[in-house]
Amino acid sequence: MQAKGMKKPMKKEDKRDRISAMVMLSPVVILLLVCSIYPFLWMFRYVCYDYNGFNATFTGVRNFTRMIHDTTFWMSVGHTFEYALYKLVFIIPLALVCAVLLNQKIRGTSVFRAVYFMPTVISSSISGMIFTFIFATQNGILNGILMAIGLVDAPVQWLTSTEHVMSAVTILAVWGGFGNYMLYFITGMNVISEDVYEAAKIDGANGVQTFFKITLPMLSPILKVVLMLAITGAFKDYEAIMVLTQGGPGNRSMVMFLYIYNLIFGSGLTNMTQPQIGYGALLSVVAAIIVGAVTIAYQRIARKLDDVM
Amino acid sequence: MEKSRAVMSGKQKAVMTVIWLLMLFLAIITVFPVIYIVLGSFKSNVELLVGGSNIFPSEWHPENYMQAWTGAKFATYTWNSVMISVCVMLISLFISTMAGYVFSRSHFPGKNLIYGVFIAFMFINVGSVSIRPLFELATALHLNESLLPIILISVGTGQATYIFLSRGFVDSVPRELDEAAKIDGCTFFQTFIRIILPVLKPVMGTIALLSFRQGWNEYIMPLVFTMSRDNLRPLTVGVNMLKATGGGAAAWNVMFAGASIAVIPMLIIYIIFNKNFMSGSTAGAVKG
Repeated sequence: MQAKGMKKPMKKEDKRDRISAMVMLSPVVILLLVCSIYPFLWMFRYVCYDYNGFNATFTGVRNFTRMIHDTTFWMSVGHTFEYALYKLVFIIPLALVCAVLLNQKIRGTSVFRAVYFMPTVISSSISGMIFTFIFATQNGILNGILMAIGLVDAPVQWLTSTEHVMSAVTILAVWGGFGNYMLYFITGMNVISEDVYEAAKIDGANGVQTFFKITLPMLSPILKVVLMLAITGAFKDYEAIMVLTQGGPGNRSMVMFLYIYNLIFGSGLTNMTQPQIGYGALLSVVAAIIVGAVTIAYQRIARKLDDVM
Repeated sequence: MEKSRAVMSGKQKAVMTVIWLLMLFLAIITVFPVIYIVLGSFKSNVELLVGGSNIFPSEWHPENYMQAWTGAKFATYTWNSVMISVCVMLISLFISTMAGYVFSRSHFPGKNLIYGVFIAFMFINVGSVSIRPLFELATALHLNESLLPIILISVGTGQATYIFLSRGFVDSVPRELDEAAKIDGCTFFQTFIRIILPVLKPVMGTIALLSFRQGWNEYIMPLVFTMSRDNLRPLTVGVNMLKATGGGAAAWNVMFAGASIAVIPMLIIYIIFNKNFMSGSTAGAVKG
């Protein structure tokens, strides 16, 4: 637009500027093509193939029929939903409460804030590893402490029993993420004007009333965005789980994207099984559709809630 | 923040104290895993394997670090981690600020389409499947003998956020600055280097921190790329491999020391720049 408005003698220069703009943009465009678009298209190429990394044979709809009967996959989808639910149920209220409390005029809020946010700078692979030590049944420190203060009599099998493994996974997820969501809420609250709180105070509202009548309603646009980020985030988590439990015991903590990783690269850290890339690619497409569907469903629900409120 | 500390009643003070203690408790739980791993890295392996509830070592064994550093190749892993994160940071800084400038200031057909594709791929996530073709591509180009593919892929998967941040910032810079530079005879690129870059310092700080952290914490992609190349592994992969191959009664002391080596540098950077980290993370997510 601007270029068109310029006078004629500038034209040559504009052309030169445009060329330099293209050159300056080329690195990011090339990386986008190679790292995002190419893998995305590649994924569809092997959907109907049996491919182990060396030989690809066309198998028609066999991958589809296999998927329909693959109980491990559908179980992993269920576990993903379960994990996302647990994570949200604990992480959102905790983050919100922390944000509200840190918004008070209390000594040391900036230190608390920095501490709560700290786990998010640690690689989830390392925090997963740290928590395998903490949750270890015999010599883990968590069981050590729980037994020392008499909360349990026998060591809890955090990572080796199907009963407790999801709790362990959830604890790690909440620990690693609540500071991040807290920060989103704090940023959102800074937008709420101080005057509103003053007015509420003059009208005699107490802390709890202020929270439900002012903070929460005024925070609802932010809450919607944060929930959205938390849901999509939870569906994509698998790095920490991969390190913490490898999906076990007995696939009890196997989530969708971890199952897919194992298919595409051979399970475990040491490539114990042969990769099944074609089938993994098909499941990746399905997983992306599931995440997309959840996102759309959430947005519908959020809009409906808007109308009600 | 305003500090209009009104006179509090006794009851209010008591409530505040309880809240403060709860927050302190939560803070202790939050730092506990890190303290545990760092203190544990000075315990003897026997003490770690016995377990118990004492987080302080009964005897201090700093030689665990020597064992990790030389015996378990952590010197190599650390070097690789530093190389990856510094390169990811420098490349991201350069190319994403440049792209942000072009998206903000230049006009050419298809610009908005290209920008839209960048934003769209911030949301499309197909998981680990995307690493496979890149791995095969790197192998075909014989690039898998170096850290280069790991660095470039890390840059490529993270760049959209940084471009988005840069563009937003350049948009807020008055156009009069560019035009003045143009009149003074600066080309498009010179205007970027001399006028825009100096103004971009705050957002460059954010990008530097976020991209460094991204490079340092990368796990699954370098894991795949270094599956059969021990000497290219960064710390995240190295320490987890040690755990996976060591078996049950492995050298916990070495793994604790290794995990500490992987975590401490990032924590030091965080302690120094924590405000920038926090503002950067929200800017990237909430606006996106």
